[in-house]
Amino acid sequence: MERETLDVDVLVVGGGPAGLAAAYRLARLNEEQGGEPLMVAVLEKARAAGAHMLSGAVLDPSALTELMPDWRSRGASLDVPVRDDRIYFLTARRALPFPVTPPPLRNHGHYVVSLNRLAKWLTEQVEAAGVDVFTGFAGTELLYEEDRVVGVRTGDRGLDRHGKRKAAFEPGVDIRAKVTVLADGVRGNLTKTLIRRFDLDAGRSPQSYAIGIKELWDVDPDRLPAGSVIHTMGHPLRHEEFGGGFIYALPEGRLSVGFVAGLDYRDPLFDPHVAFQRFKRHPLVSRLLAGGQMVRYGAKALPEGGWHALPRCHADGALIVGDAAGFLNSMRLKGIHLAMRSGMHAADVAFRAVREGDVSGARLSEYARLVEDGPIRRELYPVRNVHQSFAGGLLAGLLYSGMSLVTRGWWFRDPMPSHAGHERLRTLKRYFGGGAPPEPPAVPIDRALTFDRLTNVHYSGTRHDEDQPSHLLVADTDICRTRCIEEYANPCTRFCPANVYEIVDADAGAGKRLQVNASNCVHCKTCDIMDPYQIIDWVPPEGGGGPSYEGM
Amino acid sequence: MILVIAEQRGGVLNPATWETLAAGQRMDAPVAVAVVGAAVQGPAAELAAADVAEVLAVEHDALEPYTPDGFVAALAQVVERTEPELVLFPHTYQTRDYAPALAARLGRVLIPDCIGSKVRDGQRVFVRPMFQGKFVADVLPEGPAPHLASFQIGAYRADACVRGAASATVRDVAVRLDAGAIRQRPEAPFKEAKQAVDLTQAERIVAVGRGIKGQEHLPLAQDLAKALDAELAASRPICDSGWLPMDRQIGSSGQTVAPKLYLAVGISGAIQHLVGMKGARTIVAVNKDADAPIFEVADYGIVGDLFEIVPAIVAALEAEAGG
Repeated sequence: MERETLDVDVLVVGGGPAGLAAAYRLARLNEEQGGEPLMVAVLEKARAAGAHMLSGAVLDPSALTELMPDWRSRGASLDVPVRDDRIYFLTARRALPFPVTPPPLRNHGHYVVSLNRLAKWLTEQVEAAGVDVFTGFAGTELLYEEDRVVGVRTGDRGLDRHGKRKAAFEPGVDIRAKVTVLADGVRGNLTKTLIRRFDLDAGRSPQSYAIGIKELWDVDPDRLPAGSVIHTMGHPLRHEEFGGGFIYALPEGRLSVGFVAGLDYRDPLFDPHVAFQRFKRHPLVSRLLAGGQMVRYGAKALPEGGWHALPRCHADGALIVGDAAGFLNSMRLKGIHLAMRSGMHAADVAFRAVREGDVSGARLSEYARLVEDGPIRRELYPVRNVHQSFAGGLLAGLLYSGMSLVTRGWWFRDPMPSHAGHERLRTLKRYFGGGAPPEPPAVPIDRALTFDRLTNVHYSGTRHDEDQPSHLLVADTDICRTRCIEEYANPCTRFCPANVYEIVDADAGAGKRLQVNASNCVHCKTCDIMDPYQIIDWVPPEGGGGPSYEGM
Repeated sequence: MILVIAEQRGGVLNPATWETLAAGQRMDAPVAVAVVGAAVQGPAAELAAADVAEVLAVEHDALEPYTPDGFVAALAQVVERTEPELVLFPHTYQTRDYAPALAARLGRVLIPDCIGSKVRDGQRVFVRPMFQGKFVADVLPEGPAPHLASFQIGAYRADACVRGAASATVRDVAVRLDAGAIRQRPEAPFKEAKQAVDLTQAERIVAVGRGIKGQEHLPLAQDLAKALDAELAASRPICDSGWLPMDRQIGSSGQTVAPKLYLAVGISGAIQHLVGMKGARTIVAVNKDADAPIFEVADYGIVGDLFEIVPAIVAALEAEAGG
């Protein structure tokens, strides 16, 4: 098949904060260093810049300020400075405020932002600096020459659900690059294959993840002053489950309300979406939301594993940045600034390597040194065991986290041993000891405060062409209806926040079968991560498909 | 005088033309209707049945196939010659294609995609939705007449177009066109693979959802559709399972319809489905779950087992037809 090809010097895959910071830095280096400018391009699978961006978010502006000291005069959408930080421990009915906000959660000098808007604005800056940003194109495979990454192939367009070509078929494009910067986000589909091919995670702790589910609400502006930041622990999670809620107040009565649950829970019947509904029904939250309107919904996985779970982030011709690598500080609940910082380091290294004509892994390993010697390690190393410590439960986690402020993260065994989250999931039999599982907590769905998944999906603005191959590849659906249904009661129907997976009656009454509603997918990657049999592979759908996270 | 521009293709009138005529007839001014093409005597005769002052047949060989340049040139001459106070269009794809250029050629304003019109403080204003239907704005046209406006499909009912006591006169209007000045060279119209049904034109729709349980039960819904002379449609799960073709899917990822009657059988009414059918004039829902959201939009709801209720409705309809 004839494919178009495009040659660039540096290709950035993914238009999030890490990729955009890398692209912007490269454009500035072109300007500052003079000479023949490097040709830089960014691929973004969303139809519009920022449309797949979702975060809390409270932004530590340190990396942005270094990248672009004049961000203020360029109209950066940093909505409102944090004015007030509160943290509560929730019981079923009460909210107990922490007497002092622990230092890692103090947000003085930070901003409550919409990552969607920030990414949109950054994209404008990047384009104005002379970089091509191709929105609506997903990288579906890495191109190799022997063991060197030489670019990315974008997805074919115009295939029907059986993979046959429709009238408007267009083959994907090969974008060839001297250096490919992988900024494809948490559990990135290209990064995943690169790590596998070169065992980049050998000797590292397994990455652990969480899922964040979030809604935007419009409420009476007097409810909570803009810039207020609230974090919660406890209810509706049990001692053994990691996570918590957040409420961030944007201007004009807009609230960012979300819930993060560790994807390392044991209870096979645990349901993060239900936990979020229960969180909203807590008086602390329901009082704030009463009479308001939910206007947007979304979900995204987060890499929580920290320093010890970072893979090797360089290979011949390739660098990994941002959430794709796992640059997130789970103690401070922040990753955007680290993502940007890693993108900037990668840009510096890629620029020099291309200029010198040596893009080997050995040359690109300078990136690892910049990470080691710079602010990323300074921030992540002391909290390297924090997430892992919560494996022992909330109390153990809190004790260790508190202690780590003094010990700088020391522990008897370092790295603290940990497991991939999906391995911690227990079978029904093991978790409930062979007895009948209890009825899960009933959550009334009133479509005012609480919503069912399908209604929520509508508010994510998710759209995919229905007539295309499923982008959720389930290797063996027999497992779903034979083993999984017995062993775990199909947890995919609960951990997917978008109602992609359903167990329905098979035709002609022959038992059950898995139904994959791929067009509901909000690209959170939770299924790829949490499936206990690891048989779900998330690959990009036709470019442009996915959520539309306006204002998220 | 109000000039309505009809739309025809290959001698077949677009039914939205009647809706625009209905809009024009409510404006207390004589209405003329122009039909444009290479051979339009057929549709012109058809339009003469409406209660209009006259039908203008605008024929020229260069008007077939449709090109925006050809239509703009022809209609600019028609408008200059007839001096209407208003020019109204159905808001079709074709109108969207050439009407803005025509407005620019004439140096007049165009108010597209209106859903109504009224007189406010002695002046005619046009009502159009904004922000995806969250607001409706009254738009007062500025500048000299004629003002141009297009009306959304379904904003007026085609059967509200008043028929005349006698046939209106058909007048041929000659236009001068320079075929060489038409810059577009249309290719054969692109057709998406077999669009067998156009549900948007259906007056009655029977839609089935997951409550039907299995493909083998579909004949139940087919019988109901047949008894009602309705088109059969479905919610997503049905088409997704391949029980019905995808062009029969209603909802945010399928078609948006506004029939006179929408009978939802075993459809719970997820919001994705509701956005595709809530514009139906009368909604009847059959569902065994009394809390199903479909009942929030239904005009008539029957809580019960569709396997009992649907055959009962079919029997009643057949009895009526027989008796």
